[in-house]
Amino acid sequence: MSIKRNLPTSVMSGFALSAVFVLTLLNILLQNIPAQINTAGYELLKLNADDGVANAVTTVVVYFRGFDTLGEIAVLFIASLGIGHMLHLSDKCDLKEHSNFMLYTASKLLFPIITLFGVYVMVYGHLSPGGGFQGGVIIASGMLLLLISHKEFEVPHSLIVTLETLAGVSYVLIGLIALVVLDVFLGNFLPHDVSEMGLLLSGGVIPIIYIIVGIKVGSEMSSIVQNLIKRDANV
Amino acid sequence: MFEFLNEAESIKIIVTVGSMALFFVGLFGLLTQKHLIKIFMSIAIMEVSLFLLFIGLTFNKDFTAPILGDGHTAFVAMNDPIPHAMILTAIVIGMAVLALGVSFTIEYYKLTGKTKIDEMTEMRH
Repeated sequence: MSIKRNLPTSVMSGFALSAVFVLTLLNILLQNIPAQINTAGYELLKLNADDGVANAVTTVVVYFRGFDTLGEIAVLFIASLGIGHMLHLSDKCDLKEHSNFMLYTASKLLFPIITLFGVYVMVYGHLSPGGGFQGGVIIASGMLLLLISHKEFEVPHSLIVTLETLAGVSYVLIGLIALVVLDVFLGNFLPHDVSEMGLLLSGGVIPIIYIIVGIKVGSEMSSIVQNLIKRDANV
Repeated sequence: MFEFLNEAESIKIIVTVGSMALFFVGLFGLLTQKHLIKIFMSIAIMEVSLFLLFIGLTFNKDFTAPILGDGHTAFVAMNDPIPHAMILTAIVIGMAVLALGVSFTIEYYKLTGKTKIDEMTEMRH
């Protein structure tokens, strides 16, 4: 009888993975890869001073990599579409009962504050840490709070579809307008003076695009959460 | 006594060792667990370890976040914004893939009543 028969699979893979782990670490550390990391972003920070907003991460996400962000929210849209298609087909059912009194009462108080905070993070995404993705997820977490505390609450399906469609279409439209005006897809065709950097109304098209991204992410996340929760009660 | 831990090289080595350890914890779970939800959790752990590696390797403790304000008036002595933007993308995509996988699992359980990969025999005949 071989050793393989005697030992469970988990022990075998544990030994094998430990060996691979040690080899990988030796490879990384002996070649001193961490010291060789050469960041290209410092050049990009110099570019950002002439042509960007106060938050350099926002400039990279929305302006320098605006086309990738368009593809990214397309991936999110397809995932949301798949989840909605898979879980929406059978009968939805509400939660069996209301949650406990504390959560039920506190959710009414907390929901407006959470939504306000999400909108703040979204609108100030070009000035402070945060942005459309983060703000959208915060708003969706407020929806999650209402969904687990109120048994009959439902995010209106037509509202989600309308917001999602409008946001997606206006993102592409802004890119196309810039293509007509500046010959650059998703270029910054609105006035963006460097001296105004740091003000709320600055950066031209960048904060508008990030708010659009926030609306789209918020509605898609809300629909994902709703589909998972409403279905979960049924299983 | 532990001042050497504050040096840039030590921080990078600690980040590398820690995130690779987390990566292999996730890979171990991926290889040994049979339950579908646990497999998706392992994939999520592997993703998080790569986020830590990306951010940690480009982190410089003498620099600030790449945001103007709080007294900063120029984009000097700031951390590289590209890994932050890349990881922001990766987090969103990872969340979408995880949610889709979990909903596949829910639907599969609803249809067949099975949750383990070694019980999946529907395609054998």
